[in-house]
Amino acid sequence: MAFLDNSGDIILDAVLTDTGRMRLAKGDGSFKIAKFALGDDEINYALYNKNHTSGSAYYDLEILQTPVLEAFTNNGSSMKSKLVSIPRTNLLYMPILKINPFASGNEQVESSGSFFVAVDSDTESSFGLEGGVLGGENPSADNSFIRVDQGLDTTEVSPTYTIDADLAETQYIIEIDNRLGKICASTDATLANISFIDDDNIATYFLSLGTDLKFVKENTNRSNPAPLECIAGPRGTTLTFKVQASLDLNTSTYLFERLGGTFNMRDATTGATVSSVYYIDTTIRVTGATTGYRLDVPVRFIKKP
Amino acid sequence: MATTFKTFLTNDVVSTRTMLHEAIPMTGTIASGTYTNKAGAEHNIKNYSHGMFQSVYDYPYLSSSANHIYDIAVGYSALSALSGASSIQNSKKINIYNQMAQVLMGHSASGEILRFDQDGDLLSGGTKLNECVFFNFSRLLSKDEIKKGSFSATFLTGGTQAAPFGALTVTDAAATNDFRINSPAGEYGILQDGSSNKLGLLFYQAGIAVVTASVFTSLSTLNLIARQRLVSYGIGAPGASYDTSSMESLMTGSHITASCDAIRNRLQSVSFNNTTELNSTIYFCRVNHNDYNYTANPTYLSGSKIRVKNATTDSPVSYITTIGLYSADNELLAVAKLSEPLKKDPTTEFTLRVRLDY
Repeated sequence: MAFLDNSGDIILDAVLTDTGRMRLAKGDGSFKIAKFALGDDEINYALYNKNHTSGSAYYDLEILQTPVLEAFTNNGSSMKSKLVSIPRTNLLYMPILKINPFASGNEQVESSGSFFVAVDSDTESSFGLEGGVLGGENPSADNSFIRVDQGLDTTEVSPTYTIDADLAETQYIIEIDNRLGKICASTDATLANISFIDDDNIATYFLSLGTDLKFVKENTNRSNPAPLECIAGPRGTTLTFKVQASLDLNTSTYLFERLGGTFNMRDATTGATVSSVYYIDTTIRVTGATTGYRLDVPVRFIKKP
Repeated sequence: MATTFKTFLTNDVVSTRTMLHEAIPMTGTIASGTYTNKAGAEHNIKNYSHGMFQSVYDYPYLSSSANHIYDIAVGYSALSALSGASSIQNSKKINIYNQMAQVLMGHSASGEILRFDQDGDLLSGGTKLNECVFFNFSRLLSKDEIKKGSFSATFLTGGTQAAPFGALTVTDAAATNDFRINSPAGEYGILQDGSSNKLGLLFYQAGIAVVTASVFTSLSTLNLIARQRLVSYGIGAPGASYDTSSMESLMTGSHITASCDAIRNRLQSVSFNNTTELNSTIYFCRVNHNDYNYTANPTYLSGSKIRVKNATTDSPVSYITTIGLYSADNELLAVAKLSEPLKKDPTTEFTLRVRLDY
């Protein structure tokens, strides 16, 4: 997309997204705009210079000169970071989402920075002992899971304090390519309910505190230090889940050949290197519905040849 | 409670309708001469094996860059003096006339096809346009309809094809306040020359101009409107195999496509304004002083600390670049982008007006 002309008056460039057009074409009344949100995807707040020698009028000079791209029609490409309404103005810290690498069973595969999902039993038995490899066919038989922690990640505020109620995340939105897998509970692999699947096959799940007890929990650990916690300051809630591989990935290499490639991986049982292991790299997007913070969890689906 | 969405209230959404007009000027050189090679082949003119009409493009039509701009056809009523077994493509010319007439003029109570009427007064009979030239403008140009009172076409009605003269301009200038609504194809106006001679009909929603063949003749052998302008019969392209002696001879002695060739070469210009009916919904995104002063942008925080603040007493600030319009189930249905970042802090309030056109 090109940049918008910013030489004159402020203009608005508005488009329907592909999902919007799909719903409009359905004609079933599902195209109904009910609310709005504001985004600032292009803004780099690191450019905000609070120490500018010329004074406060120059603090955000570079930010205000940021060129803005034309609107994307792909619904998944816009509004990646949303503006947040919090009535009080005296906040100095805001919560984030973070993958917890310390919780047992939540390790990412070494050197890759990704979680691996073994899509069939054969792959599970070969690579399942590796840390960070999730069982995609039999998630309930595997101890690995993905855990995302929420809270104030600062040493300036002690974790012994309870996070303010308006900053505690109570609902998470998980988006995953539905062709590849589904979200299930870390405890017993119960599948989560899909809220909707968009035109790009992205499935969206809404998981709430108090309702989805197997997924969202309050983080009551106030210890300082706490070796198994990744949030240095006050802690909010945690989201834990596993991924069940889709039947397509379980039974066929078609999507692997179309969307992925092959690599060599060490067999955790024999120690031998297995060549030409199929993989597809993707991300599972976790967004806090309340605070708007967004985290992309890198995931690699693997299948033994 | 932190929130990222704000629900539209009833008075935040309003629907409007706007008429958008574009000027469409077309010089006659597009229709003849611009894309002719040395052998005389016109690459922007498409003929069909059925020979019922001819299409004019704005560029050689085999190119994907070409746009279809209009079609030309000629036809006459079975009641015309030109109709006869000896006329070339007699039945096809009648078929074209009848097809256009039944679509544009409709049928009588007894089911007969109504002929084109000179003044649109069907009840009192009057003069009929029995021999017509049809200009069917593509939807690309006419869009939802031709704007009333904006149409003008100039024909060179005299001289020879090589040296034509006698420019005759027909317009619907009076149609702004005087048009007919008794057509099944929508509204239509009367095409007149500068002397108020009624020389055709212009169907606005259909985007079709029906011009009497008498713009090219003064003979009274046809059921034509008396005119005094035409003096010389030289209609037709040089070297063409069709009859060049008169419009009457052309219509009886030539194929439809050949007649279209001749008429194209006499077309000096066509212009009109089209109309696009824009149905819009305007969403007023009201951002109050205490709304959207923070952001979930990852660069906003450094170790969970807000970058734009030094102390808790500093005002938070955020910068708006995007407005997302969502369904109740949080699906992003539309996106609007501001051309430059808009600073938001607790001292400011905005109403951002997003218009979606359908």
